[in-house]
Amino acid sequence: MINGKDLKVQDIGKESGKQLTKIDSLKPLPKPYDQPGMEPPLTDPKPEWSEKYCTSLDGYVALDTFEKPKTKEEEDELVRKFLSGLEKMLSAETNKGILQPLMLTLDYCGKCNTCSDACHIFEATNGHELYRPSYRAEILRRIIKKYFTKSGKLLGPLVGADIDLNWETVARLGELAYRCNLCRRCAQTCPLGLDNGMIAREIRKIFSQEMGIAPKPLHENGTVKQLATGSSTGMNKAAFMDIMEFHADDIEEMVGVRYDVPIDKEGADILLIHNAGEFMAWPQNPIAFTIIFEEAGLNWTLSSDFIGYDSVNYGLFYDDGQARKIALRQQEVAKKLGVKKIVIAECGHAHKASAVYADRLTSAEQKIPVESYLPLLRDIVLSGKLDLDPMRNNFPVTLHDPCNIVRQMGIVKPQREILKAICPQFREMTPHGVNNYCCGGGSGFAIMNALNFGEFRNKVSTRKKFEQILNAFQDTIDDPSIPKYVCAPCSNCKGAIRDILEFYEATEKYNIHYDGLVELVVNAMRKFDRPFLEFLRNEE
Amino acid sequence: MPFIEVNGKQIETDEDGFIVNLEDWNEEVALALAKTEQVEELTEDHWKVINYLKDYYKEFGIAPMVRKVVKATGFSLKEIYDLFPTGPAKGACKIAGLPKPTGCV
Repeated sequence: MINGKDLKVQDIGKESGKQLTKIDSLKPLPKPYDQPGMEPPLTDPKPEWSEKYCTSLDGYVALDTFEKPKTKEEEDELVRKFLSGLEKMLSAETNKGILQPLMLTLDYCGKCNTCSDACHIFEATNGHELYRPSYRAEILRRIIKKYFTKSGKLLGPLVGADIDLNWETVARLGELAYRCNLCRRCAQTCPLGLDNGMIAREIRKIFSQEMGIAPKPLHENGTVKQLATGSSTGMNKAAFMDIMEFHADDIEEMVGVRYDVPIDKEGADILLIHNAGEFMAWPQNPIAFTIIFEEAGLNWTLSSDFIGYDSVNYGLFYDDGQARKIALRQQEVAKKLGVKKIVIAECGHAHKASAVYADRLTSAEQKIPVESYLPLLRDIVLSGKLDLDPMRNNFPVTLHDPCNIVRQMGIVKPQREILKAICPQFREMTPHGVNNYCCGGGSGFAIMNALNFGEFRNKVSTRKKFEQILNAFQDTIDDPSIPKYVCAPCSNCKGAIRDILEFYEATEKYNIHYDGLVELVVNAMRKFDRPFLEFLRNEE
Repeated sequence: MPFIEVNGKQIETDEDGFIVNLEDWNEEVALALAKTEQVEELTEDHWKVINYLKDYYKEFGIAPMVRKVVKATGFSLKEIYDLFPTGPAKGACKIAGLPKPTGCV
């Protein structure tokens, strides 16, 4: 096994069948997690996994639908399909919208490695070469050189086309595409604006679109399920209506007021779309939205139409075809209802998929405008309509910036104006805003738990975020009687942060909690006698 | 393929131990699954939760919201965790033969 500091780009195809490298060290966490025995150790993959899956990169398995080739023919077929996908990636006919920034990234990287310092995964592994953001890009660059340029075909290694493209290289590259959260912090810092996150996503696209290989939670149990039932959770219309019936009862039970939840209201100003996972895992989030929107007197509605009640669009992470179908369907739902705009609730990737990505699919005249809930919520909170008492949120609160909402879309201030108005002990993470770090669950990692991938997330990709959370609470971390709140306004980020707090037992030991932004708003409402946040209700 | 053995018969599961085919489920399978989720025996209270989960899944194709389980069974969340230490979404659903929850949950 090659150690992290010595790994070279040319090594990617070597030692076929064996694990190429492993994580040999991790960046120490801040206090109180700086003591030995405070976190579970790294584990080795089970030997039997290597019979079916690719454990030969770093021992972790993201691609739970990959099947190792059994014959020489199958090995060759894997390489052939990969090259065919690569050809489509490089063609204007099949990859038009992406081709220009992609070619810039492939052609102009000066290897200055500014991107490496920006990457939380590279930092967490103390600079392991495998996780350098430019490492996978460089592999792809050399493969393209060798197979798609005249000089590379003729001169090979003399012109930098020195990668041995065997099936093992392909398999490892597929895994390596899932060691990046697509947070694009590297792209933001690159002096030339080159995007190594895009390279990771393009490799994922080749695997999904050309080779039919994608993580089950994203594809088979994700977009495929959404396109079959209406939601990645498997929630069909009947299930959604049942949940909605309970939603109204549940609100009444929680806050003592009954609200009529508008569903399929034609001609409403706003169609609000939640990530359907919220109803299942964090129902207090859609509940808080209903209370705020009703109290603010908005003319809004939810939809029970196919895919109209689930903003999820995992295609954004791995497959353009799937992403397109879902984004267009959401537009259709909005048009049918005749709403003025779609508002996306607390889901980061849905923000990008429905607002930014969908922009490229429809012309401006045809598209129903899509907005983030954040500016709207800011206006409601600052208008004074809700009668808020900030002292009800008088505990340390820090804010996580979801990459898709903040870095990718530049929505930075509204959430801060809200928190400053309703949380007296609000403190920023360092760094924050567009310079934030990913929660570590980005691009689907939060829901990828097959085999040992959860360990990669909890110990490696979320490490920087956990460090930031601990640092934000250093003033009170020694006092477990004080509750601390990580505000994470995104379903995916909440899932990742829930898992970190559980993995490190941070709620149990240090009273650190997490939830969204709307919950804090409702918790501050003078209208209700009891707290809205669960950990405060439990204390009563 | 991973599996769980019940009375000498191999029942296919996914990597996390959820059974793949709902038709394979019966009370003995439930007991075998329970043992993988820190539940040593299935009491009447366990069955109340399991049956609700199964019936709901049959009708709607998904697991019910946790708060619905609380309301329908009359058990508090704490009591449900006492019955199923690994939680309603993971432990109880697995024992009831439901598939692993999907989406952002």
